[in-house]
Amino acid sequence: MVKFLKPGKAVILLQGRFAGRKAVIVRVFEEGTRDRPYGHCLVAGLAKYPKKVIRKDSAKKTAKKSRVKCFLKLVNFTHLMPTRYTLDVDLKEVASGPDALATRDKKVAACKAAKERLEERFKTGKNRWFFTKLRF
Amino acid sequence: MNQQTLAAPLFHFAAAAAAAAAAQNPFSLDADASPRGATMVSVKKTKKSTDNINNKLQLVMKSGKYTLGYKTVLRTLRNSKAKLVIISNNCPPLRKSEIEYYAMLAKVTVHHFHGNNVDLGTACGKYFRVCCLSIIDPGDSDIIKTTGEQ
Repeated sequence: MVKFLKPGKAVILLQGRFAGRKAVIVRVFEEGTRDRPYGHCLVAGLAKYPKKVIRKDSAKKTAKKSRVKCFLKLVNFTHLMPTRYTLDVDLKEVASGPDALATRDKKVAACKAAKERLEERFKTGKNRWFFTKLRF
Repeated sequence: MNQQTLAAPLFHFAAAAAAAAAAQNPFSLDADASPRGATMVSVKKTKKSTDNINNKLQLVMKSGKYTLGYKTVLRTLRNSKAKLVIISNNCPPLRKSEIEYYAMLAKVTVHHFHGNNVDLGTACGKYFRVCCLSIIDPGDSDIIKTTGEQ
């Protein structure tokens, strides 16, 4: 009786190219839109997880290993597995308007912004679960 | 007769009432009354509760809103319309744990029905098997209050 598919919720994608990847809900479209007449949400997820960083690594190597490839996607709720984790990253300006994914360059720009946010969150060492690959 | 009437207040009310009752009557009678009375009452409760769920479900089917089936159960949990979820006992364990996880996120009680999907379908008055169902609006029934307590 509590809504749990809210912005900031960590989810796992179940279908599509990014199946098995962890993502965070950015925006929720409860009733759907004209193009998508079902409940769906915009998620920002990790296409490529950051690699494992060890103490021996040099600064250059750490920087290279901490890189993250991000994706933005509109996903149906039925293709998500919600988790009990949340990731309160400020992705609001990343995908603010409904046309954030309209044109290709807008999408690329939004993806870059999301990548920066996620990378800086990874570097702080918080939300470690989110940045580890799900083994299956 | 005397012992049973003693047992009822001893069982339900606070220690003060029990002390008053003990003061009134000889203590040998009291010592025998409460344990015997307690076991009798608890046995009756468990037998009635399995029938109760079936009766309450019947009332929900007649007067309330519900959905049957895994896909709709998840849908109602997602859009926070579900108030109670009932799962049969032969539900596949992965599916059962998935529904329980969703219900944990949505803070909805899950009731494990004492019967398989055939029995649950019969309890719903349907001629097909029902593995899981979700009650959206209980109607006249108080199924949500009673299963919430348990």
